[in-house]
Amino acid sequence: MFACIYIPNASNDAQAALLDCAGAFSPRVENMPPGAVVFDVEGLERLFGSYSEIASKIAEAACARGLEANVALASNIDAAVCAARGFGGITVLNHGTEANRLSDLPPAVLSASPEILETLERWGIRTLGAFAKLPAVDVSARFGQEGIELHKRARGVGSRPLVPHVDRVRFVDVVELDYEIVTIEPLTFILSRMLDGICTRLRSRNFATHEVHLSLGTYIRVLNLPLPVRNPKLLTRLLILDLEAHPPGVGIRRIEIEAIPAKPRVVQNGLFVPLSPEPEKLELTLARLKAVVGEENVGAAEIQDTHRPDGFRVSKFSSTNKDISKLDKSWQDLSNFKLLALRRFRPPLEATVQLRNSTPIWIAFHGVHGPIATARGPWRTSGDWWRPTMWDREEWDIEVLDALYRIYFDVHMDRWYAEGVYD
Amino acid sequence: MQSAILHQGFALSRSRSAPQGFALPRSRSTRARLESALGERISAPFTDIERRTLETVPTGIAPLDALMGGLPRGGITELFGPPSSGCTSAMISILAEATARDEVCALIDGNDAFDPKSAAAAGVELNRLLWIRCRKLEHVLKTTDLLLQGGGFGRVVMDLTDLPASNVRSIPLVSWFRFQRTIEKTPTVLVVMSSENIVKSAAALVLRMEKQDAQWSTLLNGFNFNIEIVRSRKSRPLKSYVRVHLHSECVQ
Repeated sequence: MFACIYIPNASNDAQAALLDCAGAFSPRVENMPPGAVVFDVEGLERLFGSYSEIASKIAEAACARGLEANVALASNIDAAVCAARGFGGITVLNHGTEANRLSDLPPAVLSASPEILETLERWGIRTLGAFAKLPAVDVSARFGQEGIELHKRARGVGSRPLVPHVDRVRFVDVVELDYEIVTIEPLTFILSRMLDGICTRLRSRNFATHEVHLSLGTYIRVLNLPLPVRNPKLLTRLLILDLEAHPPGVGIRRIEIEAIPAKPRVVQNGLFVPLSPEPEKLELTLARLKAVVGEENVGAAEIQDTHRPDGFRVSKFSSTNKDISKLDKSWQDLSNFKLLALRRFRPPLEATVQLRNSTPIWIAFHGVHGPIATARGPWRTSGDWWRPTMWDREEWDIEVLDALYRIYFDVHMDRWYAEGVYD
Repeated sequence: MQSAILHQGFALSRSRSAPQGFALPRSRSTRARLESALGERISAPFTDIERRTLETVPTGIAPLDALMGGLPRGGITELFGPPSSGCTSAMISILAEATARDEVCALIDGNDAFDPKSAAAAGVELNRLLWIRCRKLEHVLKTTDLLLQGGGFGRVVMDLTDLPASNVRSIPLVSWFRFQRTIEKTPTVLVVMSSENIVKSAAALVLRMEKQDAQWSTLLNGFNFNIEIVRSRKSRPLKSYVRVHLHSECVQ
């Protein structure tokens, strides 16, 4: 048995109130905006008595929420909806009587498209009874699949299942403090307790989170995780490390945490999976490393698309990073790669260089000085001439004191620099 | 019952007249009792770790791999040598080999000297390499501790090459043994790069690098270097030399 509560011209607030009202009777509620909700009332007889009494209780509950609603009970969803739309007050359609009871209602209660309603009007169909008497095959030929559905509703024989409405659940916890907190340490205990509760709720609904919003009064931090987790200790530690790196700087009286739910990670482990850190542990390790050496000094190097020397940036590191271009190759042929490595001086070291016939013959820079045994060059590079960060230089490879260096002459600065050592 | 057995064992050990052949079963039973007593805290208190079969991983330097099989997992490998001795090239080869096998690696860069372009040109997959840029020795040590404790890395490289030698020498030996204990039952290889031998007896493998001659064309084309196996846990001759040629057409 299904019940429908209907209010004509319902606003959004009224629709939400209808959902609340239906939710008080059954967990299986279907939202049918505008103005209608349907829910399963099977088994409520033991609590409230007959179907008429159940309908009265529903009407009372709607009234208590300030809603003047029509309530209808029927053995199928569509009949209940049609009855609630067509009859005022309380209506109970017993099983087998739906077609008779609905026969006098106008076709508008079917919530058909305006085109179909107009066609029915032109055909002289004024009631559901008249529509139900039309041959189903002909209705199908004229209106298609929608016509068949409407014809079934008109005959009161709908059989579609209920589509339950699922509320968007927010995983939020708020704590108002009696006095201000100015240090991070006491916050640990509060965050830990709040995240414990949130993670328990996430777990009970088989969710995890990949985004945590922390509001400390007006100060807001967002913790983005590369994969969903629901470990409260890990989240607490990550939030604390984040706050230590970015302290709020003001007293805290209100703490709000919201975890954005996500489907938990499902991993199929294998015997031959290559060695890599557990993602949850890696996140914690990365946060700790950032606290030691600074956020900008931890990550994966990413070479920029430029010929500028030392053009790279540090991006976020994740053990799940995969180079797509390598996916189709099981192994790389390392013998094809160049293996001469350069150790860079960052920033490049200013050098004093003596020339003979435009070739460096002696150099001095940062603890290294002496005659140049071999020098090869110059290798001229320049770029970005339209930007203030332009470069224009002449590179040389030299051998000094049995070590191999790369030096360059900066044409614009008119100075020599040592860029690195080949090692 | 247990105390009675212990008492008996103690009495036998004190007996001068006891035949020598009795000592072995007695020591075995004592060992078994101690192992069972310590079982919950220490899984195998008398297992000789040195006798474990050391799994090795290739370095990507074929002559070296042919000679010694590669780097021992769960141990410290030290590469040391003066500037231009080939340590960095060897380190990059090790990382390239590991990342080509999809292992995740970490580089603790003691003086921010790592050149991503050289590494990428040598075949290192940079998105499988966690790069930590340090400037102080204390940061290097703390970072190494955190990475080794976190676990899961195939290779962890500590680059101490450009740090002041006095600072590097001041690292207590106990720190190296702590690192070694942390990784000894894991598949991680800790590679330490420096200008001189500092890890001493905590290292499972110590390689001294030395530059030989350089080849030149328009620019530096490459150079040869020798690798001397100074120390190895494997039963190999200590003075083994491998001659390796590094090449590059034009390093940009």
